[in-house]
Amino acid sequence: MQLKGLMDVECRRGKDSPRALPFPAQSCHILNMIGLIWHYLYSSLLRSWMKWILRKVTGRCELQRICTNTVQGTERTMKIEYSLESSKNEVLKTAVTVSEANVANRVHDIMEIKKISIQKDPKFKLNLQTCLLQISGFKKLFADVENLRKQPFDSSNKQHEDMLKKLWNLLMPHVQLESRITKQWGDIGFQGDDPKTDFRGMGMLGLHNLVFFGDHYTETARQTLSHSNHPKIGYSFAIVGINLTEMAYSMMKSGLLKTHFYNLVPGVPQLQHFHQVYCYLMYEFDQFWFKEAPSSIMEFNLYREQFHERMKQLLQDPKTVLKLNFK
Amino acid sequence: MDYLCFRAFCCKGPPSPRTEYDVVCVGLTGSGKSSLLTQLCSESTDSIIPTTGFSIKAVPFQNAILNVKELGGADNIRKYWSRYYQGSQGVIFVLDSASSEDDLETARNELHSALQHPQLCTLPFLILANHQDKPAARSLQEIKKYFELEPLARGQRWILQPCSVENMDAVREGFNQFISLLEEIDQEHIPSRI
Repeated sequence: MQLKGLMDVECRRGKDSPRALPFPAQSCHILNMIGLIWHYLYSSLLRSWMKWILRKVTGRCELQRICTNTVQGTERTMKIEYSLESSKNEVLKTAVTVSEANVANRVHDIMEIKKISIQKDPKFKLNLQTCLLQISGFKKLFADVENLRKQPFDSSNKQHEDMLKKLWNLLMPHVQLESRITKQWGDIGFQGDDPKTDFRGMGMLGLHNLVFFGDHYTETARQTLSHSNHPKIGYSFAIVGINLTEMAYSMMKSGLLKTHFYNLVPGVPQLQHFHQVYCYLMYEFDQFWFKEAPSSIMEFNLYREQFHERMKQLLQDPKTVLKLNFK
Repeated sequence: MDYLCFRAFCCKGPPSPRTEYDVVCVGLTGSGKSSLLTQLCSESTDSIIPTTGFSIKAVPFQNAILNVKELGGADNIRKYWSRYYQGSQGVIFVLDSASSEDDLETARNELHSALQHPQLCTLPFLILANHQDKPAARSLQEIKKYFELEPLARGQRWILQPCSVENMDAVREGFNQFISLLEEIDQEHIPSRI
């Protein structure tokens, strides 16, 4: 049980408003403290007693009960993840970061520790294996995404330069680049005459995302680019792209994207799945932007935040899978 | 939060509020506006991306809070800057001390436009000569001379502060002086309100 939601929502102040708080908000802080104390008592004492009682009554441990009471998907995997992470046993606790090659062994060890009989519960082994592959796979994928992000664009790296050229050719197949440093980059939405200054905190992750979109969904990418060139409410394709890379990255970092990955991939998620989330954001944001019809690009951040809120709400529903509505 | 809880338990009222000032922050793309403001708020600058449109940040200082309206510096956004000057009490202009000659010239033109703009010409300016940590960074004297601050901005209140994200003390020093200017102007206006 995760004690989240109501109190946090009411008391949340944006980090941008450090004003002195009025008295009702102070009592909100006291309520938050009481909530924390209750949460501590529950997780350290009550939970163990409740689990012990349930095991005696049902003859099955918490992991087994979760697998029986849920279907394959986010709800099951999230509950298994929470159960393992809260365990006092190191073997269970560290199972969430076990490597793909060691998942089978770890499942075996857990079944021994929890005295789970494979005859009495034949499906359990495969179910737990799938969950572990998803859980540790998500963490490994995030580590890979983070490594790409930390790689700055390097003009002396041929692979980086080739990717940039590839991006141009995918999006502007009939126009030749006059030179490497040129104002033409503005035609695909970069800010200056050298795209390398635009990637900043997103590094190569931003470029990989853009190239994947252009490569795998070329028609949609070109259409989105042409929408972005609207004379009145156009936006900068590549810059908004980098912005959405940041959105996808932060949703993965906060764990929000687990809903999507755990429902979509019954095993280890791959980098292409992250790229596809990005493509989803690019397409949906473009639709959202033109439907809302803002007065100009200056309102971008406002609409970006509204879009972000919608995404957060979507991903808080455990049944959500982000589907690409285009070819 | 802990401080507020302590005050709540000891039945003290809320702490006295700091004065707030509305300021606008402009400068070319890549000059370092977002990075500086983010660091002043003690947040991580790890995943900063180019600012599109504008963004508002409340930046806390010891005796004031600056509600900073940061405007993106890309070519296609600069034309909208003047629409957001209304209601500002001060201006922060950030420039890249190590930029190319062309970019420095563009920055100079933008700064001059801002200094002469009817809605900003009476306001105090904090000019941050950023990126001082780069080898190609021009010195304080060179910047002052190149930007013609002394002849052009005569009669206006401005502060030129060399700085970089590596040296936030210098940044805070500049801001504290700027806040003093804002406070002075506030004091000057009080008699006329009566």
